[in-house]
Amino acid sequence: MALRSLNLPGVGTKYEFETDKGDTVAIFFTKTGSIQMYTLQKNCHTPSAAEMSPVEARRLGNILTGAIIEADQESVEIAFSALADLRITIHTFFVTASAVGKTIEDLQIRAKTGATVIAVCRHDRNIINPPPTFVFEKGDAALVIGESDQIKKFEAEIMVD
Amino acid sequence: MESLILALFVCLVLALVTKYLSIPAIPFYILAGVLLGKTGGGLLTTNEISHFFSEMGLIFLLFFMGLGLKPERIASNRTAVLTSGIIDLNVNMIIGFAGAYLLGFSFTESLIIASAFYISSTAMAITSLIENRKLMLRESDTVIWLMVFEDLVLIIFLAILSAGNQNLIIFLVKIMAVLGVLYALAHYGKEFLISILDRDDELPILFTFAAVLTTASFSLYLGVPETMMVIALGVAFATTDPDAFEQHARPFKDVFLVVFFVFFGVTVDFSGGVNWFVIGAISLLAVASKLISGLLTGIFIHDSALSGLEIWANTIARGEFSIALAVLYGSPLVGTTIAAMVIVTSIVGSFMAKYSGMLRRGIVSHGRHRAASQRRMH
Repeated sequence: MALRSLNLPGVGTKYEFETDKGDTVAIFFTKTGSIQMYTLQKNCHTPSAAEMSPVEARRLGNILTGAIIEADQESVEIAFSALADLRITIHTFFVTASAVGKTIEDLQIRAKTGATVIAVCRHDRNIINPPPTFVFEKGDAALVIGESDQIKKFEAEIMVD
Repeated sequence: MESLILALFVCLVLALVTKYLSIPAIPFYILAGVLLGKTGGGLLTTNEISHFFSEMGLIFLLFFMGLGLKPERIASNRTAVLTSGIIDLNVNMIIGFAGAYLLGFSFTESLIIASAFYISSTAMAITSLIENRKLMLRESDTVIWLMVFEDLVLIIFLAILSAGNQNLIIFLVKIMAVLGVLYALAHYGKEFLISILDRDDELPILFTFAAVLTTASFSLYLGVPETMMVIALGVAFATTDPDAFEQHARPFKDVFLVVFFVFFGVTVDFSGGVNWFVIGAISLLAVASKLISGLLTGIFIHDSALSGLEIWANTIARGEFSIALAVLYGSPLVGTTIAAMVIVTSIVGSFMAKYSGMLRRGIVSHGRHRAASQRRMH
């Protein structure tokens, strides 16, 4: 898989690579701000294309690097190959009814699962690093960080319906 | 002032409609000018303000072109760029010149028409490639580099045309000197320039505007035309942070250039004494001649006439640079001819670019069908 990047005058930047099976993927970051992705199947002459906004493109990137478990809840896995292949997962959860009205301390999140709540999004405002006394409200989205087993445990034990 | 406001309002509506339908706006700006100007009711008239706006439009268009020009890029892609560029230049200049001359234009007029005939619209070609999602096609690269080559040739044309009665060598030396000075300024003032561009107050945009206008005004003292001065400034600034300059110059370019197109339309007179046969012939010839150069380029570079068809579809449209040539050097008659050519080619071009895929598939399946029926007969 050889990745080529190219600056096209007036258009923007092009990234292109061929997969081992002979399919080609090309991404164009155009000067208009949109991102176009083309895929060309081996032995086929007409590529198919999709145009994305930067937000949509980042979403696609998240899907490709990690895994989205549910459509509205995202998860990103980051691998640090220098640190003995340390894999850290960041996952968003919409707080379930069982957790509403309780604090992070009440729920014993760290003790039970090992995962950490690093941010909560409430009414389009972000609360970074909520204290143990933080009380969850209905509609909160929590950003949880940990190893993938810890995240699974968090989903099973804390986010119970 | 009322003229200008009316023009801006009409453009706003046209921009909304053309963006919604995703068709090029330039021919409609010109048409609006034509319909509201001399040819139509005379609702729009040129005056000092519109003249100033139009001049700014031209200056910023050329400054932008200079910014996008990076000679070292061409050097890295030489053979393909040169082959397609030279085919395109020769075919279209020869057909354009011969056509205009045979239809009764004088030698100089034919030369201007041929140049306008040759220069495809970079803006429309690039927009069509992006909007019709053709960027991955191998022909796209050819088209993009062809546009860069054409821009370079245009600069040489502008230099020769604007030399006028001056000695060409002295004139070229003057241009090189200007370019050298600007290059040196950009090189030694690079850190200062970047520190200005990085600010988020009014300074970057004010600086960009002032730099372009000041440079243009120096043309009075140096005997080098404004056009050459601002292109040289663009080329020199491109060595610092071209993206930032593009970002800060874009608002000026967008507004002034639209006014430039409308008021070019206003000066065009289709009402009296226009030879429709000549105008029609040049416009059709403009479509046909790019077909010939496109097919040749396709065959030479991609070994395929079908590729040539794709190249043709995206380079038919003439636009901003053809009009610039008409405004700078054309007589009224030449201006009218070029206006018609731009309108016809840009509309045909946008249509062909949209449906070229279908056209190609149609030809391929027709060919297969014919081959199959021939096999059956034998």
